[in-house]
Amino acid sequence: MKTIDQVFATNKKIGLMTHVVAGYPDLAATADLIRLMADSGVDLVEIQIPFSDPLADGPTIMRASQHALDNGITTNDCFRLAEDMANKVDIPLLFMTYGNIPFAMGMERFMRRSAGAGIQGLIIPDLPFDEETDDHLTLAHKAGLKVIQVTSPSTNKKRLEKVCSIAEGFIYSTLKVGITGAGTDIDDQGIAFLNRIRSLTDLPIAAGFGISSPEHVEKLMGKTDMAVIGSHVINLYEKKGPQGVARFLEQCRHVGS
Amino acid sequence: MTTKAIEQRFGPYGGRYVPEMLIPALDELTEAYAGLRNDPGFQQELSDLFTTYSGRPTPLTYAANLTRRLGGCKIYLKMEGLNHTGAHKITNALGQGLVARKMGKTRLIAETGAGQHGVATATVAAKLGMACTVFMGQVDIQRQYPNVYAMRLLGAEVVPVTFGTRTLKDAVNAALKHWIEHLDDTHYLIGSALGPAPYPAMVRDFQSVIGREVKTQIMEAEGRLPDSLVACVGGGSNSIGLFAPFVDEPSVRCFGTEAGGTGPKPGENAARFGENPQIGIVQGYKSYFLQNDDGQVQETHSISAGLDYAGIGPELAQLHDEGRIHFSSVLDSEVLEAFKILCREEGIIPALESAHAVARAMQLAPGLPKDHIMVINISGRGDKDIFITAKHLDETRWVEFLKSEVQDIENH
Repeated sequence: MKTIDQVFATNKKIGLMTHVVAGYPDLAATADLIRLMADSGVDLVEIQIPFSDPLADGPTIMRASQHALDNGITTNDCFRLAEDMANKVDIPLLFMTYGNIPFAMGMERFMRRSAGAGIQGLIIPDLPFDEETDDHLTLAHKAGLKVIQVTSPSTNKKRLEKVCSIAEGFIYSTLKVGITGAGTDIDDQGIAFLNRIRSLTDLPIAAGFGISSPEHVEKLMGKTDMAVIGSHVINLYEKKGPQGVARFLEQCRHVGS
Repeated sequence: MTTKAIEQRFGPYGGRYVPEMLIPALDELTEAYAGLRNDPGFQQELSDLFTTYSGRPTPLTYAANLTRRLGGCKIYLKMEGLNHTGAHKITNALGQGLVARKMGKTRLIAETGAGQHGVATATVAAKLGMACTVFMGQVDIQRQYPNVYAMRLLGAEVVPVTFGTRTLKDAVNAALKHWIEHLDDTHYLIGSALGPAPYPAMVRDFQSVIGREVKTQIMEAEGRLPDSLVACVGGGSNSIGLFAPFVDEPSVRCFGTEAGGTGPKPGENAARFGENPQIGIVQGYKSYFLQNDDGQVQETHSISAGLDYAGIGPELAQLHDEGRIHFSSVLDSEVLEAFKILCREEGIIPALESAHAVARAMQLAPGLPKDHIMVINISGRGDKDIFITAKHLDETRWVEFLKSEVQDIENH
């Protein structure tokens, strides 16, 4: 399996990161979707462990998470899914979730089990770097996981400098101040923010929130290393099934190749 | 008010567990409030609103009949239900409303369970000339419709929350998300002493007027401090407001009463300190939450829409761990009994939330000496609960009345 660093070391004009909610619409379908994403040229997949009270998720992802929870999906199911997928796809897998999930399991155990399942990094938006979190950064490093820092255009200079100084793997920036999925425009404020991050770090940057067309991906080319597509994939899956997702990802991949 | 720094944490609890994009808004609020809490002009303005608009100080009433009936200690009732809009909630709403206006915000948003906080926020928005949107779970809208009607009368937009459990916790999620999208002109007026810092400390500060008034009033009435305080605890704003000024008075025992609902099983109650207290990180703060082993927040139940919240304010969590507040829960059935008794004995129709405190006091009082002084916080009045209490206590006549009302509307 490629590492996160290897993914960013390739000479693509722009990479693609996609998002799935584990257990939506069911675990087998999530597994199929991850394989399909890998086959469609996606570079990174973030697997969301569903949480009952997700602060940053928009309506689409929230609905998918609730559906998965109603179906009885557990954190253990997510580990099993990750392990299965890590053996079947060549691209790095990340876990995205909220702080209470690792906290409930115990940070150390969660980190160890994630790494053991083949996960390479974590995105936990409600665990800011400066909050007391049972030392999740140190424990993640110990387990060999990268903790991906999330920023947004509202992040002030001082915090952005700090985030850049501790970030690893890549920096995940939202293109707007808001929740996932809503809105479709990539505005100047978002692009300007990417430039600000670029001036502070050599790490690659992934940008997301609101990306829903190959044109959006094209617009980000040269401004970010990776485009993150979340809610739109779920919407497409619901409306047009796996083939619809595959077609869309193919189109996006052509932009970057 | 205090010159201490605004607490970010309470022992291991509290904090700011929020997405990075909310941090600047919390910084801005912290800075604004840090300046205003020690600003005599701001405090005077708030104090004037308390006395000329809200109805403070609220009375401390000796409950002679309840005292006689229970045959134990001497019982006083802190009458927060006599506040404008019928509950202590207006106190915090006025405080935060003023802070928001000083920050240049033009909109207030809020979440509400029982509806009292929504009504209080809508009232303050009208009074201060601000726009208002209130998020409320679809389930709570059904069971607290009089308050929904009131909010709309006051000019607020009431947004039904149709995801999750469709109760208070999901209304909080909806409000937080909306705030994230409208940070420039909007203040999120959190109604309880919880959420990310600085909210727990700020709400505690505003509500502490309850305990400060009790201190003064009981000294006038009895010449000494009370021996015990009893309050209901959902998120915990009325309880921390009553308890905070007494926390450093070791002779005063504090009793927090949680919603025992219909029983001890998960989903039947909202007792965070029940059989298996669990610490978690939810909705921006670390505290005790009703959750399963995976960390998923559990569904809750209470006869009172204001108490069926899965979390509890972080300062209360700390005071629990320190043994400073004694928590226990009472069942819905005990609450209804206490509700009836307070109506008949004292001529006071309490909110169902407050009836939890009365039910707990009824357990404690008979075993206490006659010179023991107890203060129960009657945090709100019960007219908002008419659709719940009437169904339980006067079902036949209530159904006949509703049918005739519907008939009357259809005929016209």
